[in-house]
Amino acid sequence: MPVATHHKGSSEPASGAAAPEFPAAAVPPLLDLRGLSKTFGAVQALGNFTATIQPGEFVTVVGPSGCGKSTLFNIVSGLEEPDAGGVVRFQGASVMAADLLGRVSFMPQRDLLLPWRTVIDNAVLALDVEGAPRKAAREQARAMLPEFGLAGFGDQYPSQLSGGMRQRVALMRTFLFKRELMLLDEPFGALDALTRTMMQRWLLDVWQTHKRTILFITHDVDEALFLGDRVIVMSARPGRVKLEQKVDLPRPRPAEVVISPEFIRLKRTLLEAIEEEAMKSFLAPGADGATTTEVR
Amino acid sequence: MSGALVASPASRPETMSLALLAPLWRFARGLFWLAVVLAVAEGLIVLFGVRPYYVPRPSVVIGAILATPTPYVQGFLRTLSETLLGFASGAVFGIGIGVLFFRARALRELVFPIFIVSQTIPVIAFGALVVLWFGNTLVAKAAISFYLTFFPVTVNTLLGLEGVDPRQEALMRSFGASRFKLLTHLQLPSALPQIFVALRLASALALVGALVGEWFGDTVGLGVLLLQGMYNENVVAIWAAIAVCALLGTGLYAAVSMIEKWLVFWGAEQ
Repeated sequence: MPVATHHKGSSEPASGAAAPEFPAAAVPPLLDLRGLSKTFGAVQALGNFTATIQPGEFVTVVGPSGCGKSTLFNIVSGLEEPDAGGVVRFQGASVMAADLLGRVSFMPQRDLLLPWRTVIDNAVLALDVEGAPRKAAREQARAMLPEFGLAGFGDQYPSQLSGGMRQRVALMRTFLFKRELMLLDEPFGALDALTRTMMQRWLLDVWQTHKRTILFITHDVDEALFLGDRVIVMSARPGRVKLEQKVDLPRPRPAEVVISPEFIRLKRTLLEAIEEEAMKSFLAPGADGATTTEVR
Repeated sequence: MSGALVASPASRPETMSLALLAPLWRFARGLFWLAVVLAVAEGLIVLFGVRPYYVPRPSVVIGAILATPTPYVQGFLRTLSETLLGFASGAVFGIGIGVLFFRARALRELVFPIFIVSQTIPVIAFGALVVLWFGNTLVAKAAISFYLTFFPVTVNTLLGLEGVDPRQEALMRSFGASRFKLLTHLQLPSALPQIFVALRLASALALVGALVGEWFGDTVGLGVLLLQGMYNENVVAIWAAIAVCALLGTGLYAAVSMIEKWLVFWGAEQ
């Protein structure tokens, strides 16, 4: 498994990403990204990003703001092509990014609910687009309402819901679009701290019952550790993998896990790596790839 | 776990009957104020002894309509049909062309300037031509109505379609949406508020088109009544025709607004 571990900040050994419970030969990775770069005019957003995601894994991605996280997601969801030279392999086959349109279920930062559709109709939007029979799709969505904390709200319109509920409708839309890989781009970023904690615990529950592979972007280290099997720390722009950190905390994870010594130890490792990168992007705003690596 | 997140559903607004009564109540209130204004006008005209040649008393005008209602009813129906035909065809054509321009940029750059030039020519200039082409028919008036209607609708449709949130488009594309699904599920509904702004404006313009069309020759219609009143210097008849025109225009506008409220119930949120 190709792992780009560039870890210079800390003396602590970063446990490599080579997951022991996945013998590399037995289970081919669901998603295999090799040397992805993306340049917009003078700005290089991604530079040689390499990572693999195993089926069923929950991988979180953290990094300083503007490190190309969203660009990475736009590529994996098929909305943007990487620069020539990058390789995207999905389910064992090399693909163009555009081939991934409709094959990955993507949840952007904002809920982006359609105001003229009820909760149910928003939840089945992706199925509608696919041309699935409407009635069956709606029944399926209606049955899922309680699990998403939306029981009784099926026929309401988005404007009648709170921010946390809107976010759950968006998550339900993502879950109903049944794809093996789910991309969640800071789904809880706009929520208050308490709601966010509740949503994280709830997401783990839902993930464990539905068994999907999740790639989850966040800028919150606690969130990344609490949720992930593995945390990928991205470098400052141009984004590449700065550190891959396996999270060996047992599941199901109780809320108190965040104050356990092991959690704190992992958090320190991650914070050091992120701080170093955040400092770079702070000192050299808009710097291109060459200069960013020179700072410090 | 999820139990803790379940909030109680907001009490569903069981106020259907109230919701239906509200427009009726507004209508009644409108009638009341109209009556008040007419009464005040009547009073002022009597008080200052305004000569009927300039402004007749409202009661006289209403009396004139009630004395010979047939031409007014016929004129109303005739002008209404012309207006509706022109308005409906203009709206459909305007939205269709808007979508077409949105999808085919090359076509838009080629044809849009011609549209603009065509709109800078006053519609009156075309009146004689339209009569030559379509004769003294209902279609001729509807054609002028159509000409005034479609352009604002096209412009606003285009504006609405181009104003769609690109993030929402990206989300739809990530679901694998085709261009057609993108149009029907996202772009057109998003553009509806903009389109209706144009439709409300166009409803007034369509009436103008029908009236002007009638001036080029016809025997029935509100425009005809206006002309007859003018030639006969029958001030009361002119005011009566104006009153019926106002009724028609207000009614159309109200109808379009009601359809808008019903269709664009979410308002201009986001």
